Amino acid sequence: MSGTVTVRIQKIKKNTVKGRLIFFLILAVILLLVTIFADRIVPYDPYAQDLSKSMMPPSSEHLMGTDRYGRDMFSRVIVGAQVSIFSTLALVGVISVFGTIVGTLCGYYGGAVDAIVMRISDVCLAFPGLVFALAIAALLGGGVGNAVIALAVISWPKYARVARSQTLALKNVPFVLAARLSGCTSLQMILRHILPNILGPILVTAMLDIGTMMMELAGLSFLGLGAQPPTAEWGNMMSGGRSMLQTYPWLVLSPGLAIFVTVVIFNLLGDTVRDYMDPKNSRAR
Amino acid sequence: MKKILAILMVLCLSVGILAGCGSSANAPASSGENSSASSDAASGTKKTFVFGDNTFNASNEDPTINPHEAYSGWPCIRYGVGETLMKIADDGTLEPWLAESATNVNETTWEIVIKDSVCFSNGRRCDAAAVKACLEHLIEVHERAADNLKIASIEADGQKLTIVTSQPNPVLMNYLSEAYGCIIDMDEGITDDGIVVGTGPFVATELVTDDHLNLVKNTNYWDGEVHIDEVTIRNITDGDTLALALQSGEIDAAYGMAYGSYPMFENDSFKFSGIQTSRCFWGMVNFSTENPSAAIMLDPAVRKAIALGINKQGFVDVLLNGYGYTATGAFPETFAFGQGVKAESYDPEQAKAVLQEAGWVDTDGDGIREKDGVKLVIRWLTYPTRLELPLLAESAQATLKEIGMDVQINNTKDHNTIRKDPAAWDIWVSANVNAGLGDPANFFATYCLDNSVKNSGGHHSDRLEQLAAQLDVTFDVNERAKLAVEMQQELLDDNSYIFCSFLRMSMISKANVTGLEAHACDFYELTADLDIK
Repeated sequence: MSGTVTVRIQKIKKNTVKGRLIFFLILAVILLLVTIFADRIVPYDPYAQDLSKSMMPPSSEHLMGTDRYGRDMFSRVIVGAQVSIFSTLALVGVISVFGTIVGTLCGYYGGAVDAIVMRISDVCLAFPGLVFALAIAALLGGGVGNAVIALAVISWPKYARVARSQTLALKNVPFVLAARLSGCTSLQMILRHILPNILGPILVTAMLDIGTMMMELAGLSFLGLGAQPPTAEWGNMMSGGRSMLQTYPWLVLSPGLAIFVTVVIFNLLGDTVRDYMDPKNSRAR
Repeated sequence: MKKILAILMVLCLSVGILAGCGSSANAPASSGENSSASSDAASGTKKTFVFGDNTFNASNEDPTINPHEAYSGWPCIRYGVGETLMKIADDGTLEPWLAESATNVNETTWEIVIKDSVCFSNGRRCDAAAVKACLEHLIEVHERAADNLKIASIEADGQKLTIVTSQPNPVLMNYLSEAYGCIIDMDEGITDDGIVVGTGPFVATELVTDDHLNLVKNTNYWDGEVHIDEVTIRNITDGDTLALALQSGEIDAAYGMAYGSYPMFENDSFKFSGIQTSRCFWGMVNFSTENPSAAIMLDPAVRKAIALGINKQGFVDVLLNGYGYTATGAFPETFAFGQGVKAESYDPEQAKAVLQEAGWVDTDGDGIREKDGVKLVIRWLTYPTRLELPLLAESAQATLKEIGMDVQINNTKDHNTIRKDPAAWDIWVSANVNAGLGDPANFFATYCLDNSVKNSGGHHSDRLEQLAAQLDVTFDVNERAKLAVEMQQELLDDNSYIFCSFLRMSMISKANVTGLEAHACDFYELTADLDIK
């Protein structure tokens, strides 16, 4: 009796999680569509200066006001999504793929290469992330590309660690041993039997990482090491307006709100994907 | 029983936490409050004053307060450590300071009488011999000063100092009023930290480059009573930090505040001391043939288009919040030597036509013009410690893009190193006090001539050299003004130097600070008059 109740509760939970997943996926897709078509939907040229319209407060004409150069903040925030979101997705994509490949190979083959790569990853993990990224970005110079490289250099070990531990756990389970006995090559083992089974945790980590990476990229730009003026990028826009937070708050609040909304959507999507892929829920499938 | 015990424990913990969070009326003040000048003033104890400045740093060539090094004389004179023989009044005329009088005996000989009462902060009398020792050391170690002063010999006799120059130097006394002319006690020497002993109202006790300078009252001050006991100068290069430090009361006054932050202080708790200055936002073109962009910058049409493509009025009205006025030449029109010059004014259509005529055409439709396969890209070098310079750069970037130029901004504190590399920039934009000495010669001598220490763009004009040689030996003020106008016109006709605007300089202080006055030459800040009521 109690077993039936548990299964029902799990089914209800599963349905709720599925609903949430669809909801946040729709939000994320809307966000991506806005980003892709940003150039076409902005009401003004985000880079066109009009000093006669400097510092206009939010109004029906300029929904988020204008900045000190008279540029429309709403247009800049929308176009800024391209730099912020695409850079973040590219960053997460690169580090998750690279980290997974490295981690899987290390876990599967082990030995000296594994020890060396893992010590390198330990070095990367030993430093506070943003401080290390700051140092690398300062070396490389300003620019979104360099900021992405700086964050990639410090972030890939997380994925390598996850992939390696999952691979180690899988390496000796009976179905993998059976596959080996049946004559699979190492490449086949990794591609057919290991990778598909470790992708779940990697995907969850990547989804949860999007918000964090977006914040860190915006942070580097805010500190002047990411996107450079006049590029419309949220962190860079916040940095440009911070001296006027008390007098013209929309200069900071507009890009701040954009970061907040985007990070919340991707974080909640990540949480939901994690819940959805949770083995506790899988029994109800 | 256990439940009762648990409830009692939770209650005890709650009381403890609440007690910890509460503030006691008898609790001692925080360290921040202890350092507040106003609270000290109210209690009648030591008066301390904290001053925030975003220009007192090595990147600004002000690493110390040693006037015989680079531009470190500026903090020396600004913070009341050193004083000069003469002082520059706000109208640009000279007033006696340490000197009682200065007489031009003949074209190359000057007799200067030092005031009897003057003494260094260590109590030593400042006589002509002390001044002689100081000036001799200055011209020995400071190339720019030696070039300006042209001193051949110095004689000291009691309070009388006789200076003989190697050639007529009509503006010797103006140059001696430059910050490097601060009279310091060479018997005390210069410490490794760059601390010197001067005659001013304050004595330096500790200096950490790029961080802070501590000063105490000069109890031996020769020119009246000093009201403030201790001063700390904090180097705060970030405009927001500077604004918030003043707003929170961490500092008592600030120099170099961003104009965008002014509205925060336009209330009864703060006051402004402002004055029109000859501090000019201007650009120097790189003429070096070693520059990979030489084909661009050596084209007169490009330089003219840049001059036509910068919206000076918009910059002043909007980005300087009206705290400035547009520049035509190197000097404000309030000076005779700033009148009657003509320069290009903002006209994007004409700029486009000039470029088109010169063969710069956008053939690939990307909005940037090309000629002979070379893109019209301008590398704009500037620095952030003058907070409005990056704004000018971004404004010019947008207006010049409209006429087909791609302006790439390099906004760095390291600009003084980069400008020395002729391959690293196309236009260097800075903010300098061009007529701080009340005379035009210093600007040309520093930036425009073949032997100028800061002619980093390698500009050369035979006519300019000729006029400069004439200016060097012309004593008549009106004649000097005419020459200076002609020299500026020479620069402007060639568009080799582009002048954007002059600055209205302000210092902002708490309302209870008195005696902190801004001056047109931008030299004098902390004086014996400084007080906290």
